Amino acid sequence: MSRPRTELTAYAGILGSVLSVGLVLGAPWHWLALTGALVLACVPAGAAVMCWVDSGEDAAQAGLTLTLSLAVVAIASTVMVWTASWQPRALLALAFLGAASCATRLFWSVNR
Amino acid sequence: MTQYEHAVFPPVAVPAVQPATRRIQPQLVLPFLGMGAWAYGVSRIHDASIGNYGLLASADIWFVLGFAALVTAFVLELRRGEPRRWLLGLCLVGLIVAIDATVPILFGAPEYGWVYKHVGVASAFQKYGHITDPTNIYQQWPALFAAIASVSSLAHVNALSFAAWGPLGFELADALLLLAIFRLLTDDRRVAWLAVLLYEGLVCWVGTDYLSPQAFCYLLWLAMVLVILRWLRAPASSAQLRGPLVRLRAPLLVGLRPTPTTTKTMRAIAVAIVVTIYCAIVAAHQLTPYAALAGVGALTVLDLVRPRWLLILMVAIAGAYLAPRYNYIVHNFGGLFSGGNPIQNASGTTGAHNGGAEATTALIVRALAGCMWLLTLAAIAGRRRALGRVAIPAALAFSPFLILGAQSYGGEAIYRVFLFSAPWCALLIAGALCELRLPHRWLLTGALSLGALCAGLQGLYGPVRVDAFTPAEVTASRWLYGHIPHGSLIVLPQQNFPVNETADYNDYELQVMPADPQTGDPWMNEADPQQVESWIADFGHRTAYIVVSRSMDASADYYGAPKGYAELVRAIPTALRGSVIYRNDDAMIYRLELAGNDATAPSSKAQSSIQAENLRQ
Repeated sequence: MSRPRTELTAYAGILGSVLSVGLVLGAPWHWLALTGALVLACVPAGAAVMCWVDSGEDAAQAGLTLTLSLAVVAIASTVMVWTASWQPRALLALAFLGAASCATRLFWSVNR
Repeated sequence: MTQYEHAVFPPVAVPAVQPATRRIQPQLVLPFLGMGAWAYGVSRIHDASIGNYGLLASADIWFVLGFAALVTAFVLELRRGEPRRWLLGLCLVGLIVAIDATVPILFGAPEYGWVYKHVGVASAFQKYGHITDPTNIYQQWPALFAAIASVSSLAHVNALSFAAWGPLGFELADALLLLAIFRLLTDDRRVAWLAVLLYEGLVCWVGTDYLSPQAFCYLLWLAMVLVILRWLRAPASSAQLRGPLVRLRAPLLVGLRPTPTTTKTMRAIAVAIVVTIYCAIVAAHQLTPYAALAGVGALTVLDLVRPRWLLILMVAIAGAYLAPRYNYIVHNFGGLFSGGNPIQNASGTTGAHNGGAEATTALIVRALAGCMWLLTLAAIAGRRRALGRVAIPAALAFSPFLILGAQSYGGEAIYRVFLFSAPWCALLIAGALCELRLPHRWLLTGALSLGALCAGLQGLYGPVRVDAFTPAEVTASRWLYGHIPHGSLIVLPQQNFPVNETADYNDYELQVMPADPQTGDPWMNEADPQQVESWIADFGHRTAYIVVSRSMDASADYYGAPKGYAELVRAIPTALRGSVIYRNDDAMIYRLELAGNDATAPSSKAQSSIQAENLRQ
């Protein structure tokens, strides 16, 4: 496993998670909140997985982080629509899960 | 050389670069000049001056020079033995921005009428949080719309505020994934980069990268391919097994290099990632799951994927999603299959070919598609002694044609085949170009890349006067839904107008006059006011709202259909006694009172409100 690439993903995941929660909950302008929501859709869920998986290529690592996040957000949103339990803010949990997974990854690499 | 041993294209010896060429590096300046020329060119385009031949014909030389400079810089850098990734990346991002940001900058509103319908479904989820219109096929495959609704809800914005930038976002993401996939399939970095450049030129005309389930699922499909090729390739030892199937496959796999080593755990994680992504695809789009099955099926038939049951699992997921919707499909679309005639299914949308600009643009993109597949076949033929080197991209390039055996997809199937085939064709063509032993091969490569880009851009920008909407048209549409009573009848002389973008879109009855051959069997003569009035009256409303707009005028002019549209526009205030209730620079909304009908008439309060609002406009 290439530590720098997965660790970089973990750092990106933590940054994306913190940024998305901060912007969604505290942004004074809609466009900033939109940036936060897009970061939430594009980074934390994928980074939570990809910080443990080295794809061997920077573009692949970034691309899989992005697409896995989008897929998870789409599935979670669909379930909310199907079950008529629409709580989009529940998606912020993905940021907490992502940050937790990425932090664990960094902690694990330091103590290995 | 990379760590991957299973490369399709081996590196090619690079001729020594002349010292003089090394000293002078115009490619360091050209990307910035190109972006500057493009930006300046865009600033000099006025949307009113765009004619039927589109943006390229209406723009000045700076706009075109911008694209030429970016492609030239890219190819010049590729000539170097070790091209700088940052410079190639800069050129590529600049090119994608130039291709996909032009229309949003010029028009300031999302392109294509379908986008507004997608926004409407997302708005419905955002407002009500559940399925509001089970009869709408979009709501039966809701994954993308639900995701958009989530993002919009979290940001407290309407999806219209960012929908125009969908193509740029999707193309940048597609390019990232394609670069990663191509790097897995070739040892030569230049082949991978050139393939992405060719792809951007080849595919830009298809116009399926707007905010849509297709664009979303295509991106996810590329991610699936990446995971499969990286972690789920069959181990090399299996190719040595004996058996009739192995003997049949053997000639196709000559030259196929060993797969990268991986672990059982990694394979399990990769299967989980593929299944997760495939579930999102299945819940988001009707066609892509089957295009994905065709691709994975082709690789499985070649025995290149492990576990083999991955294909069966994917079939089960797609089937499980489709089964409860089968009756819906049969009832509304006549079944899963639209006939087994691939030629008929590939015939495209039935249009009213007007000749002139529309026919010229159509001819250019058909020639581009034909050349792409012919060059791909030539590239495969060039490696006939070691087909294994091209087995994976060739299988993925031609497996989408299987779709044509089952579906015309409303005439769209051939465009989707092109879309799913293009990346792998681009890779095969790029590989062949980089292996050419010609003195001026980079000149040829540059000319081919620029030619493909120009043809693709003509396909993309040719009908831009029709496909793009102005903010005034969007404002008119939003005014309409905001002011007429729920349950009202909205009539469009043709469908080219932004509609259904509101959360309550299904509270209104929207009817498009049956006069356009592109939307069905045209029987109405719009030039005949009596026929038009009688058709509207048959819907049983006392009042109807007719919209005419700039984009409808442009569409009628471009396609030469519907016949009689211009006469209808003149007849609305006279023969049809329509009264203007809203007007701006690009759209006009009339109210028609239909004698004899007595249903869902707007209340007097609503009518007063409309009149008052009209006076304020």
